[in-house]
Amino acid sequence: MTIDHKRLLAEIEEEVRRKRESGDLPPHLERELDIVFARYAPVRALDGDFDQVLTRAEQATFIDVLAPTASSRPVIPHVKRVLRKSVVWIFRYVAQQASGFNEAIARAVRLLGTRVDALEEATGTRSIAPLVAGDGTATMPDAEHWLPVLVDALRDVQGRVLHVECGSGELVRALVNKGVDAYGVHAEGAPADAELDIRIDGVMEHLGKVPAGALAGIVLSGCVDRFPKAALLRLADQAVARLAPGGVLAVVGTDPVAWERDRSPVEVDLGAGRPLHAATWAHLLVERGLHAPAVHDGPRRRPADVPDGLGEWGARIDTLLFPPASFGVVASRPR
Amino acid sequence: MPGVHQFIPTYASRDAIGTHARHVRAILRDLGVASDIYAEGISPGVPRGEAQLFKAYPDRSDAVLLYQLSTGCKMADWLVARPERKVVNYHNVTPFTVFGAWEPVVGAELRRGREQLAEFAPRTELGIAVSHYNEGELQAAGYRRTTVAPVLVDLDAVAVAADATALDRLRQAKVRGGVDWLFVGRVAPHKCQHDLVKAFALYRRVYDPRARLHIVGGSASHAYSTALEKYIRALGLHRNVYLHGSVPDGVLAAHYAAADVFVCLSMHEGFCVPLVEAMRSRLPIVAHAAAAVPETLAGAGVLLDLKDPATVAAAAYRVVTDAALRSTLTEAGLARAAEFAFEHSRRRFAAVMEELLETVA
Repeated sequence: MTIDHKRLLAEIEEEVRRKRESGDLPPHLERELDIVFARYAPVRALDGDFDQVLTRAEQATFIDVLAPTASSRPVIPHVKRVLRKSVVWIFRYVAQQASGFNEAIARAVRLLGTRVDALEEATGTRSIAPLVAGDGTATMPDAEHWLPVLVDALRDVQGRVLHVECGSGELVRALVNKGVDAYGVHAEGAPADAELDIRIDGVMEHLGKVPAGALAGIVLSGCVDRFPKAALLRLADQAVARLAPGGVLAVVGTDPVAWERDRSPVEVDLGAGRPLHAATWAHLLVERGLHAPAVHDGPRRRPADVPDGLGEWGARIDTLLFPPASFGVVASRPR
Repeated sequence: MPGVHQFIPTYASRDAIGTHARHVRAILRDLGVASDIYAEGISPGVPRGEAQLFKAYPDRSDAVLLYQLSTGCKMADWLVARPERKVVNYHNVTPFTVFGAWEPVVGAELRRGREQLAEFAPRTELGIAVSHYNEGELQAAGYRRTTVAPVLVDLDAVAVAADATALDRLRQAKVRGGVDWLFVGRVAPHKCQHDLVKAFALYRRVYDPRARLHIVGGSASHAYSTALEKYIRALGLHRNVYLHGSVPDGVLAAHYAAADVFVCLSMHEGFCVPLVEAMRSRLPIVAHAAAAVPETLAGAGVLLDLKDPATVAAAAYRVVTDAALRSTLTEAGLARAAEFAFEHSRRRFAAVMEELLETVA
């Protein structure tokens, strides 16, 4: 008798999905297990999280001068205590200076980090910072149009699906309702639905934590309209790397023409980031090894005060004047 | 006929590479070839005369020097510069970035090992890999002539009767309910015992609150072992996760006999002998498909692309509860383990050596 490994793994994935759905597997449990281990791991073994590393460095500035005195042999603890007592004043004197120096360095690095943050924000090179404050929920243009398209593209994938900048989790919910093991991430402040696995995390930070090839589907929205160009290229790199063979990557973005038209001149002129064209996304995904990207136009939005009924020529003029405000690009990673 | 002498960074009687080197020496001597073992370091307990320090090697320009490469060492710098013909037997070098984060000194040795692997490439007659995965690394490092011959482990010799006391103790624990997970291997960062603990914690919470995890193997990193112990305690699992350390063969056999599933979440394995031992002991396996693990298992275990705790726990639960799957995995494992039978591996290695000797003669 042979084992149908593909089927077995699909059944195991299905079991995990059921457990998540039933609440037996609380969304934050796995993350908590990681956080507890991070307390004991050396700084070099941690992810590239600057704040976490700096916090550990600050904790390490304290030097304990009271060496342990325990021993399995008799008398030795007593000898150690006597020795410790006789030299502790020297160690304390040295340790105070060393601790002071360490604290000064840690403080300097903390201040430097703050200045780098400010610099990145000012120059628009900070990939995770929204350049123009949004309301935290409007993450996908024409969401009502794209939800069924995305559900259709992702309903048959085998494995976990991530929606980046998922807002209140409409797409995650729609996917879960179709039996897909979906979860989302959104920046702090987004409304969290306790029934859904929605994690409060930055886009790049979260992708950085996901192992290579771990996701069967990824949907990018929101951040693709806002990130600076360099950050978008990095986002494309990260997302493609996290995609499993046969996985599906979808990008839903605002058309650049519509973006400029619908925003204030100040935002258009001073915002460091702006959306890319659908064709550019298709190019980027092919360049990174994805297969046959399909480009979908979003719905056309004709202003209500523009009269219609001008016949065929009127429709053609409409097409030119009111192009789709959003697009979707769906591509897959070859198996 | 030229002699073939082996060089090994540290020679220990009981570890996999030391055992392999001893078997290689026996093969060479059976072929009528002079063969001795030289090392940079010799562990305590090695019988006198079994191996010598490399500085004692007498210059023999007609000899072939066979280097058992698994880490970096000063001896390799000396070896690579020697005029004799050289062969590398590659057991893989653990990625230094993983180990170095916990043990900087060992990390530096491993980094040097990778560099030395490349330095040997143009000066080597043949690269012998213990797996096709390792052969790929040899070719990537520039080795022109490579072949694969499995690591020489006499499973019949180590398959001693299970220690009765240990087996009784493990079976007594089963009376109270709960299944036993087992992992065998050095406690080291790249073996990822912490991921095993994560998955096990989740397994206990979701499927079996009485389950036990047995981790067998000595520590290869004090920092990692200490962190692992603290982690187990912080999760409140110190009464359910057992760090047994290095154990005698009889006790190891008892663990294989009493466990319900062998779970391996290593991020890097050049071959992984315990997988073969588990298969031979009719123990079903759940493993992360990393490095040479898929090749060693060859479908005779549940291979996971991801090792997120939820998936590992669900896979282990499935293996433990699905009798038909368990039976199929057990049979497939036995068949796969038979392919690593000592006589097969010995014949293969002897053939490689004969071909080498013909080439250099």
